[in-house]
Formats: sequence, C-alpha cells, structure tokens
Amino acid sequence: MADVLPEAFLRAVADGFPADFLTREPGELQEYGRDWTRVHSPAPSAVAFPRTTDEVARLLALCNQYRVPVVPSGGRTGLAAGAVAARGELVLSLQRMNRMEPVELLGNTVRVQAGAVTEAVHHHCAEHGLTWPVDFASKGSSQVGGNIATNAGGVKVIRYGLTRQWVLGLQVVTAQGQVLELNGALEKNNTGADLRQLFIGSEGTLGIITEATLKLTPLPGKQDVFLFAVPDVAAVLRLFREARRAPLLLSAYEFFTDKCLARVQRHRKLRSPFEAPSGCYVLMEAEGKDAAEVEGWLGSLFERGLVTDGTMAQSPSQAIELWALRESISESLSATGLPHKNDVSLPVANLEAFCSEMDAVFGERYPGWEIALFGHIGDGNLHINIMKPEGMEKAEFLAHTKKADPTMFELVRKHGGSISAEHGIGLLKKDYLAFSRSPAELEMLRTLKRALDPNNILNPGKILDV
Amino acid sequence: MKILVTAKRVEDPESKIKVKPDGSGIVQEGLKYKINPFDEIGVEEGLRLVAKHGGEVVVVSIGGKEVQEQLRHALAMGATRAVWVNHTGPLDQMGVAGLLQKVAEKEKPDLVILGKQAIDDDQNQVGQYLAEFLGWGQATFASKVESLESEQEKNKVPALQMGADNKSVRVVREVDNGLATLECALPAVVTTDLRLNLPRYASLPGIMKAKSKPIEELTPAKLSVDVTPKVQVLKMASPPPRKAGIKVPDVATLVDKLRNEAKVV
Ligand SMILES: Cc1cc2nc3c(=O)[nH]c(=O)nc-3n(C[C@H](O)[C@H](O)[C@H](O)COP(=O)(O)OP(=O)(O)OC[C@H]3O[C@@H](n4cnc5c(N)ncnc54)[C@H](O)[C@@H]3O)c2cc1C
Repeated sequence: MADVLPEAFLRAVADGFPADFLTREPGELQEYGRDWTRVHSPAPSAVAFPRTTDEVARLLALCNQYRVPVVPSGGRTGLAAGAVAARGELVLSLQRMNRMEPVELLGNTVRVQAGAVTEAVHHHCAEHGLTWPVDFASKGSSQVGGNIATNAGGVKVIRYGLTRQWVLGLQVVTAQGQVLELNGALEKNNTGADLRQLFIGSEGTLGIITEATLKLTPLPGKQDVFLFAVPDVAAVLRLFREARRAPLLLSAYEFFTDKCLARVQRHRKLRSPFEAPSGCYVLMEAEGKDAAEVEGWLGSLFERGLVTDGTMAQSPSQAIELWALRESISESLSATGLPHKNDVSLPVANLEAFCSEMDAVFGERYPGWEIALFGHIGDGNLHINIMKPEGMEKAEFLAHTKKADPTMFELVRKHGGSISAEHGIGLLKKDYLAFSRSPAELEMLRTLKRALDPNNILNPGKILDV
Repeated sequence: MKILVTAKRVEDPESKIKVKPDGSGIVQEGLKYKINPFDEIGVEEGLRLVAKHGGEVVVVSIGGKEVQEQLRHALAMGATRAVWVNHTGPLDQMGVAGLLQKVAEKEKPDLVILGKQAIDDDQNQVGQYLAEFLGWGQATFASKVESLESEQEKNKVPALQMGADNKSVRVVREVDNGLATLECALPAVVTTDLRLNLPRYASLPGIMKAKSKPIEELTPAKLSVDVTPKVQVLKMASPPPRKAGIKVPDVATLVDKLRNEAKVV
C-alpha cells in the first residue's frame, strides 16, 4: 500500500482543522476502510471526520491541490464496495454531520446533514405523522448521504419508488471544494438540466453530498402483513400477477426461497410460521381498501391453488416477526457463509421469461451449488446469492464466480435488465457495467467525470475508470 | 375435554408506551394492542391438548368491544368459540377472577388455562385468585423440560400431561431453584410460563373461518359479579432512565470500577 498523503497536505490539515479531525489509528483504518463487502482488504491512509460543510469544502480543496484521493463514507452498509478504500485513499466520513433540522410541516420536508442515520430520520419525522419512505434492513446504520449516493431502493419501492423521488434539494461539495446548493426546497424548478439528479446515484464519484432537503409523505395507514407459502419462483410470479389486480394497495411484495429461510433459521433462530416446508415464500404488505373484498380475494387464492399456505400478522409484534424473516436474510447469509451477490433487475413483464432461463444458467455454471434467491420481486429485482461451497478456498470461489458472472449478465441483457438494480457498481460490478450501459453512454459518463473531477480525486476507480 | 383459556388485550410492546405527565395512566393515542403473550401460549397448549384428547377450547376475554380482536385471534388459532364479558372501566384482579369464576361455573371446563401474568400490569395474581374462588387445584408457571427445538415441539405435543383417565393433570413448573412437578385433580387452574410452547401463527383459512365463529356476550351484571375495584392505582411513573454506558480504556480500570464503584467483585 502506498501512503499517498504528502507531508505538506498533512501539515495543512494539522494547521487548519481541529485536533480530532483526522485519525490514522490502525483499528480505525480497518473499520472505516470498508463497507459491508468482504472482497477487498481495507487500506486507507487516514480517516477524516468533518463536522461542517465548510470543513468538507476546505478539505476537498486541499485534496485537489495535493492530489489526495478521497473515499466518501456513509454508514458503510453498501454492498458494492463503493465505500472501500483499498489503495491508501483518505476516507471522508460524514458520521459527525448528523444534524437534523425541525420538520417543515407546510411543505412536508426536512433538511438534514448527510450523516444523519436513515432510521433516525424516520423517528424524527414519525412524531409528525410523516416519513421519508426509504426503508430497508440496514436503515439502523446507513446514512442519508449514502442512500442518496446509491439512489437506494429497498422494501417499499413498489409503493414509493427509489430514493431519487424523495430528495428535493442537495448541498454538494465539488472536487475543487466549491459548495453547490441544488434546487433548495423546490418541488418545481424548470430552469434547465437538473444538476441535483447528477449526484443522486453517483456513488461519491462526482461530489460529496453534505446536506439534503428530503421530501416526506404521511405515514401509511394500517398495513396488513402476509406471508404466503408457494412451491416455486414461477408460483411467486403467478401470485404477483394476482396481487397486482387485488383490491389492495401494495407497499411490499418480497420473496425468498427455502435456502434463505434455512440460513435465517440457523443464524437468527427464527422459526417458520408454517408446519410444512415450502420451496418459496412471499412476504406481502398492503393496505386493504375494503375488508370484505380483501377477504374474498384471499379466499380465492386458496380455492385456485395459488398458495399452499398463508398467514397474516395478528399484531404489530407478529408483523415484525414476519418481516424479520425477510430482513435477516442478507445478514444471515454473510454470517453463515460467503455469498457472491448479484443484484439484478428486469422489466417486471420479463421476469417470468428470465427466471425460467436462469435455472439453466445455474445448472451449467454452478451444478449442485447452494443458491439463495430472494428480493424485491415486485420491482423486478432479484438478489442472487451464490454460496461458497464448504471446503472451497475463497480465492477459487471468487475466481469461479467471476468466470460465471458474464453468463448471468448476458441473460440479464437479453431480457432488457440491469446488472445492478439498487446496490450500485462500486468496485464489485465495475467490470460488467458494459452489460447495462452502451459504449456511447459510457463515454458520456467519462466525459462528465473528467469535467467535474479533472484530477480524479473523488472515489477514483469506482463505477468506471477514466 | 373442555378447556377454558383467557385472552387479555394488552399493549403491544412494539408501541411506544409513555406515562401521562400527571401520572394518571398511560398515553393511549397511537397504541397498538395484542393478545397477552402468556395467554397466546395458553391457547396453544389448550389446542394441543384437545388435538390429543378431543374436546374444545373456549376462549374468554373481559373488556370493551375491542377485545373481540384478541378473541378473533384465538379463534383463528383454532379455539372453537368465545365468551366476551363486556365491561369498560376499572377492574382489579379480584374483579377479573370473580368474573372468570362465574364463567367457569357456567362452562364447567375440565381445565382453565391462564397466563402466569399479563404483560401490562404484570400482576401475577388472577390465576391464583381464580383457583381459590373455585376451590380447585392450581399449578402456576407451567413450563417444561425439553428444548423448544425438540421433536416434541415440532410435532406440537402438549407439554401438560393428562392422567390416564383424564382425571388429573401433571404439570412441570418453573420455580426459583429449578423445576417442580405437580399433579392436580381435574378440574384445575393452570397458568403458563414463557417456555411452555411456541404458539402457532394463525393460518389465513383459520383467520377467515374465525370471523364466523360464535362469540357469546355476557356482562358483570348478567354474571352477578360486583366488580367495584378494591385496588386503586394512585399514580404511575416511568422508571428512571438508564445512564449511558461508558468505555473503559483497559481491563485494570474495569476491574477497579467493578470493585470500587459497582462493588460487585
Ligand atoms: C442488510 C442489508 C440490506 C440492504 N438492503 C438494501 C436494499 O433493500 N436496497 C438497497 O438499495 N440497498 C440495500 N442495502 C445496501 C445499502 O444499505 C444501501 O446502499 C445504503 O443506501 C448505503 O448507505 P451507507 O450510508 O451505508 O453508504 P456507504 O456504504 O457508506 O456508501 C455507499 C456509496 O455512497 C458513497 N457515499 C456515502 N456517503 C456519501 C456522501 N455523503 N456523499 C457522496 N457519496 C457518498 C460511498 O462513497 C459509496 O460509494 C443493504 C445493505 C445491507 C447491509
């Protein structure tokens, strides 16, 4: 690892910033040098903890002057190695910038610093009957800045859409240390290209998000949480067809296979609500419009053999227990083994065709391997987790999956899908970006990057190389 | 065999529970409710017993119209029918036990199963009062030996053992210094402890069927029970908030603090 921090840079930081601004303590470097992924060894040269936008701006100006590469770092729950610093970069952690302003009750907005934890924002707004509907299992650690930088999805996308829909304004610090205020708190602002959108989903490669004005929505009404047992993925999709037309407002339609459940049971000791095991499970959350109509619909699912078993939470505690089965999957797969994760999306209409061909790819590339499938299937989003076979070396496993990935991505491309639905590209999926973006698009992305960050100091090497 | 099981409506611990500033009670707005978890265990045990020995589980709750939600939950799990004692207003343990006594005398069950305590007031009294009022044997804190992941749990075998002639029940109960086994002549009153079983989830068909199962409405007046409370709640207060933890630099400091500040070693 090359220590890229020049003496002059370190002196400038020591002179211009508080004593506790920078750490080079080895334990901290390990911790802040990586996200949720375990593929790269963390090796940052230092971690900076600014408290204000001004500190971020002054730091970036110095980094630009001394060509110090910077890895913006949020809650480090990212799954694409976007917040990984494996090559001596300076990690810029937003965690001290976690202030939240009072909720603005007329416009239903709230201004927060980028380091505010997603769940803290939820609690902050819930008091007023409002929510920022970006919601997933890592919300207790992930930060608003990280959510925006990855344009995060989650478990409520089917009702609310992606993070992008819920960001009104951004404050961004550029590679040169300029502070941009983009769109303020405006709902409407047709004054040329919307620069705010450029930074949403850019994974820290175009600018540092320091503050955001978030758009809020009323907390939903009473949600019913269902878990259904169905035999296979085809049945998951058949049920989805029905759920789309049901007298219900869907807020989640998630599925997982028996393999996922087995890992969850092993790691979290949670139990299945059903007597008999089943191939697949669907977790559905919905707001019923008319109780009698909903009941008729539910009854018909059994009559028509669309589900083999089902339950509905009888209390908030039970709803949380059912959700835990779905939300513990990522954590349980990592705790009980080494997953190779693919997070693909398909046009919802092409899911059936894709899934029927996917098994053939598994059979050819991973004969007899354990594959844990789950995901936000209602958004056309599948999380494909190839589990490292017992006894296989990690390096061999990674080499094998690296060789096999193109076959899967080829299938994704064939069906008009994306190789990264919501986790981003980071370092992990970089080699495969061309499966989802045309050469012309890639060139345009490079042009943008060069224009905004000519010295390539912002998260260099992530998403694509310039 | 007829088994009477109680189903109290209690605040769901997932709701944020706050004491009113004047200490007169808790803030009701936004609260969610559920069946008392110990009662859910009671329903499960009742269902396992009747699955093995035949008969029916009758579920009873005391409260306003809203307690029908908890009765429906028990019916969805598999109870045959429900008794609702319609009463709003304060009620103490004696009042509850008095009403349950009358319901038991009317229903003539072989066994009454209650939770060892309700998680709202944590009284741990109603079962004992009821046994006394009825003059029946009681076995509180029914637990069991096997781990919850045992074959027995998987096959939903009841932990309570009936005597050969269904005239007695054997109960393994959790006590301070281990487990005690009691044998009670039937009819008897049993209260459930946490480890007795893992209650089933209600199946969707069960939930739908429960909507048309009968709920019989009674009132304290119909049962001729005077429920004027003898126990009055004078004031409620939140427990003092916990102090935040601290980080100690090394083991020596930890030991020093344990010895000289906490005085535990
Ligand atoms: C158990 C689990 C479940 C998950 N479920 C989902 C899910 O359902 N949907 C989903 O979309 N994701 C999911 N994720 C992935 C992850 O939680 C999200 O991508 C999240 O938005 C990342 O936020 P973070 O603060 O942890 O970002 P980090 O991991 O710290 O960073 C992510 C990227 O954003 C950049 N970045 C961070 N902060 C800033 C900033 N202030 N300015 C500029 N760039 C910045 C980083 O450089 C990096 O490239 C899950 C992760 C886990 C561990």
